[in-house]
Amino acid sequence: MLRTGLKTVPTKTEEVEVVVIGGGVSGLSAARWLTQNSGAKVCLLELEDRTGGNSQSGQNAVSAFPWGAHYLPLPNNTNTELLKFLEEVQVITGYDAAGLPIYNEYHLCFDPEERLFINGYWQEGLVPNWSVPKPDLEQIDKFQALMEEMKEAKGEDGRFAFDIPLDKSSADATFRDLDKLTMQEWLYQQKLDSPYLRWYVEYCCLDDFGGTIEQVSAWAGIHYFAARKAQAANSDAHRVLTWPQGNHWLAERLRAQACPDIRTGSLVYNMEIQGKQVLIDYLDLATDQPTRLMAKKCVVATPHFVRERLLAKIPKEAGKQNSKAFTYAPWVVANLTLKQVPGGKGTPLSWDNVIYGSRSLGYVNAQQQSVKGFPEKQVITFYYPVADSSPTSRQAVFTRKQEDWAEVVLQELEKAHPSIRKEVEQLDVWVWGHGMIKPTPGFIWGEDREKAATPINGNIVFAHSDLSGISIFEEAFYQGIKAANQILKT
Amino acid sequence: MRVNVQVLLLFSVFVVATCGLVYELVAGTLASYLLGDSVTQFSTIIGVYLFSMGIGSYLSRFFNKNLIAWFIQVEVLVAVVGGFSSTILFLLFDRVASFQIVLYMLVSLTGILVGLEIPLIMRILEDRFEFKELVSKVFTFDYIGALLASVIFPLLLVPHLGLLRTSYFFGLLNAGVALWLCFYFSKEIRWIYFLRASCAAAIVALVAGFVMSDRILAYTESLSYADKIIYSVQSPYQKIVLTKNDREFRLFLNGNLQFSSSDEYRYHEALVHPGLNSVQNPKKVLVLGGGDGLAVREILRYPGVQKIVLVDLDQAVTKLFASHEVLRNLNQQALLSRKVQVINTDAFQWLKNNQEQFDFVVIDFPDPANYAIGKLYSNTFYKVLRETIAPGGAAVIQATSPFVAPNAYWCVVNTLASCGFTTMPYHAHVPSFGDWGFVLASPEKKMHVNSQFLAQLRYLDGPTFEQMRTFPKDMPARQTEINKLNNQALVRYFEDEWASYIN
Repeated sequence: MLRTGLKTVPTKTEEVEVVVIGGGVSGLSAARWLTQNSGAKVCLLELEDRTGGNSQSGQNAVSAFPWGAHYLPLPNNTNTELLKFLEEVQVITGYDAAGLPIYNEYHLCFDPEERLFINGYWQEGLVPNWSVPKPDLEQIDKFQALMEEMKEAKGEDGRFAFDIPLDKSSADATFRDLDKLTMQEWLYQQKLDSPYLRWYVEYCCLDDFGGTIEQVSAWAGIHYFAARKAQAANSDAHRVLTWPQGNHWLAERLRAQACPDIRTGSLVYNMEIQGKQVLIDYLDLATDQPTRLMAKKCVVATPHFVRERLLAKIPKEAGKQNSKAFTYAPWVVANLTLKQVPGGKGTPLSWDNVIYGSRSLGYVNAQQQSVKGFPEKQVITFYYPVADSSPTSRQAVFTRKQEDWAEVVLQELEKAHPSIRKEVEQLDVWVWGHGMIKPTPGFIWGEDREKAATPINGNIVFAHSDLSGISIFEEAFYQGIKAANQILKT
Repeated sequence: MRVNVQVLLLFSVFVVATCGLVYELVAGTLASYLLGDSVTQFSTIIGVYLFSMGIGSYLSRFFNKNLIAWFIQVEVLVAVVGGFSSTILFLLFDRVASFQIVLYMLVSLTGILVGLEIPLIMRILEDRFEFKELVSKVFTFDYIGALLASVIFPLLLVPHLGLLRTSYFFGLLNAGVALWLCFYFSKEIRWIYFLRASCAAAIVALVAGFVMSDRILAYTESLSYADKIIYSVQSPYQKIVLTKNDREFRLFLNGNLQFSSSDEYRYHEALVHPGLNSVQNPKKVLVLGGGDGLAVREILRYPGVQKIVLVDLDQAVTKLFASHEVLRNLNQQALLSRKVQVINTDAFQWLKNNQEQFDFVVIDFPDPANYAIGKLYSNTFYKVLRETIAPGGAAVIQATSPFVAPNAYWCVVNTLASCGFTTMPYHAHVPSFGDWGFVLASPEKKMHVNSQFLAQLRYLDGPTFEQMRTFPKDMPARQTEINKLNNQALVRYFEDEWASYIN
């Protein structure tokens, strides 16, 4: 409908101060910030039935489970806005004498956190070491030492080379020039060619960016390892925060703090500027009722490819954006209810269970944060990024049937669990066509991203993790606040 | 290449002799594993086996024609009976009343069949050798085979193949010899197709058994127990096994000893009384774990206690201890008391939702051997526990052996302390377990111990408890990590320490 364009001019009109389009994490974050920091009457429009964007979840008789983003690494201690939110929702319960946050231990990922199936054995942790030859281990050590250096590295401007939100990273060319290389090229430059190391780095790039080391920029790749510098009073630095329903848990709490006026099932089909007002026409999908919102300000918190169509009639936008720079990785997520996760040699079932050599990212135990010792049944969430995002491949992602995807999922899992099929009671698949933005070389520190973030007329502002180039909760949360502040300042 | 017929037959003698002795050794080993008393078992098995071989030798006189065909037939039977004997014994062990009858019948059958072999083969060969040479050759190979079997059995077969696979392996050798002979003598024997088919069927069955033997073993597990199993059940959570010898009953959960009836009173008196004795006027007591009702039995000695809530995950355990006569007598019908309420659910989940407060809490969980149980020893669990204790109340926690696993033990103590509990560590000598540790914990600033214990106790009194609070020079308190849900430090300590103790 958006493509062909809906022409109706609504007869029903409403006046509001601010409209937020998009109820993902960035939209909710913007709405929350506006609500908390002004008396403005805010209305949030969301196309889907539920808010949360990529942070979706489901629930069955056994457990809640994520359908998308499912964890938040401990945030950097300088990310005060995020820490404050976590405090408000009791994920942080206080601060110790040294000022370090005390995290709620129900939300800190229970141990064991990660295991990797490699050479027929489940080793603890994801960095390959089980039966890995010595020269490869040495390269892995060298890589990790380099990443530790990058973690501490600061530019001439005194800022960290890699930080979160990434806008706070140093502008020093020494580091930013890394954005011009691919991660693969950088690894070659460092003479790091161990297949075990390459697999590990690729796994990480797929995990956060949905892209291979040939696809994502070295700056982004290194950012994964070097940007997180959290310290906690009661946890090791590398822990994550997680919930049975994944980041939907966070999204629900953002929503609870956002404006009361949230309209789901609302398709925005037209935007115009009229004098000092922004007109937003949307269709209530449940009633087919078109409505025109007349707003003073508007936050567009949608992915970039949606925004293009929304803003087709806005003169300052047309033809200004290089949309080709925005590339996305499709994702396939499957939830399986099992009688039991089959056993195996080595570390027992962990939160994150990865299979070496697999193109999938393995699976997550949805009940990891349950205090119950012996669940009757188990739910696991399987993640599979489709790194080849050419148009034909994207088409193939959608034309595949549920059964075909189920077969792909089972075949990947059989690599570690040959007997898994007889444990499966239910298997559902969710295909994300535009799972996450890919930080291809030149994107993060190029002009397309900067241009896309520039407000129009001072009354249309933009908020989305696409504008960071990295699809993580922290960036979406930050982009929402940034956009809200642009509105509050004018 | 066609092998000389004499060589082939003498090789058969060698194989047959090796297999024969291996079956005998397997039966002897199994009998002493399963029934105990290895001297008696080995000597009766050897006696019955040799006697049966005598019967077989005697019976050989009734075979007059088609000797090669009969020999092949006997080989196939030996292969099948010998190959499957250990599996049959394993599977029947805890399921039939008169296990010994089955055991000796199988041993006799194998012995008779093996006893037939040598006389038959000597008669097959009688026209091909001079008598003195024949006797010399056959028995030479027979005894060499026996030597080989007796050397490789303890050194190679049992450690590397295990008993089940050893039997199948030698069954396959027997069947292989039979098949070879079938082809070699295909023109000379009648019913050749039947013989070949039975050889092939035996080989298929034996290979299947060989491949499946791990699963069969996992299914039986009888080898883990020194004594006779009198009750065995697999619940959704664990394998429950009760064994008996002349002196005592022992209960095992997943192969780990839970108690021996001969000294469990020491453990349960030490667990319950120091704490319960010190609480003023205890009325309500909570027991977490302890589905055996033995801690409850001790609590019921206090007439003032009006209500006991027992939360244990496994209904199979609490049902067993409320119904099985031997066990019911052991816990003095504790679980049938009207004061006792049994709840079968996950203790952490239950405690989190519970609103009621208790004067005393007994925590008798299994040792923290895995991450699922490790959660029940975490600081998060103990914080919830604190809310459950009434003012002036206390809790006691069984905390594994401070001698074998000092880091694990002190990790429990330190974790409790990190949650604001005042702790009192103590330990007791329980012969079946060794030196065993407990921690008394109170939310109050100070803990008062009442040194007047109930007169009816068999083990505990004031001076004994004084001793139990003393940790000798080789078991001092230590600094450890705090056990949290996000580090499971205790499980790691426990695994390291017990693994190095057992090895």
